[in-house]
Amino acid sequence: MHELGVATEIHRACRRTMESHGPGRIEEVRVAVGELSAVEPELLQFAWQAVTAGTPDEGSRLEVEWRPARQTCLKCGEVAERGAGSWLRLCPRCESPLRVEGGDELDILHLSFTPDDVQEPAP
Amino acid sequence: MNVQQRVLAANDEAAAELRRGFRADRMLVVNLISSPGSGKTSLLEATVRALTGRVRMAALDGDIATERDADRLRAAGIPAHQILTGGACHLDARQVRTALEQAGMGKPDILFIENVGNLICPTSYDLGEDFKVAVLSVTEGEDKPFKYPAIFSRSEVTVITKSDLLPHVPFKLDEARAQVAALNPTGRLFVTSATSGEGIREWCDLLMERLEGKRRA
Repeated sequence: MHELGVATEIHRACRRTMESHGPGRIEEVRVAVGELSAVEPELLQFAWQAVTAGTPDEGSRLEVEWRPARQTCLKCGEVAERGAGSWLRLCPRCESPLRVEGGDELDILHLSFTPDDVQEPAP
Repeated sequence: MNVQQRVLAANDEAAAELRRGFRADRMLVVNLISSPGSGKTSLLEATVRALTGRVRMAALDGDIATERDADRLRAAGIPAHQILTGGACHLDARQVRTALEQAGMGKPDILFIENVGNLICPTSYDLGEDFKVAVLSVTEGEDKPFKYPAIFSRSEVTVITKSDLLPHVPFKLDEARAQVAALNPTGRLFVTSATSGEGIREWCDLLMERLEGKRRA
């Protein structure tokens, strides 16, 4: 359950970011998850619920932006085809090795929270 | 508010700090990753037999439970410290830092970090190592590299183990080589057996080369 550790890190990082703004609760966190980061969005969202349960952030949303990897063949250019359930193989057209770019993202992009003394979420 | 922060930033910072310390100590650090039972500990036992007297070695062993791996390596003659993750599927840099503080292993020339047996999760966690080693046994099937591409593309070295069993299993060595080469064109691959000793000298030569490189740097 790798996602639990990742969700814990996200929560910790968000809480650190909020520290300078005084007490409050998280409304929504948006993260980028790359195809090659070995993190499953659904499991991550499930883990987020578990990690925030019983904290002031219980009920907050974790939105995932999925970032696919791009496969490029030196001869054929960008290759959209994928192996069944797989990526990163030889080029299906000419069998040259494929170069893979991106897809390793695992970043916090945006955090919305409500300070305890106001009613609306901070932008 | 916009944040723009890597989720694993805390791990990456701890890993960078470890890497600075390892560089200052001229210590070569190798992070071994594989499925459970692929023979990481046996490979290290064979490595210890081959290199004892030439370099000082030590090991950190990650497992969910038991001290068995560290016990085996201590029996082989090197300081070893078990990191019990209590259910976590990988080691992180903070665990390695804490273990090194607790273990009091001195300053070996080569530190082996034997990760928790798992081909997925350990891949994302930098431990400050010089390079990762993917270990694959011939009893697992030659299609592992394409099934778990992240680890095989990020490991500078792939070690195929249990080659003495090749006559008895349907493992296609050429196919495994081709898959690793496709994922990682610049990587090195060694075919080894801790039982027959095949490939152990070549693997140890690589370790010595890399250690010399680190000492010169």
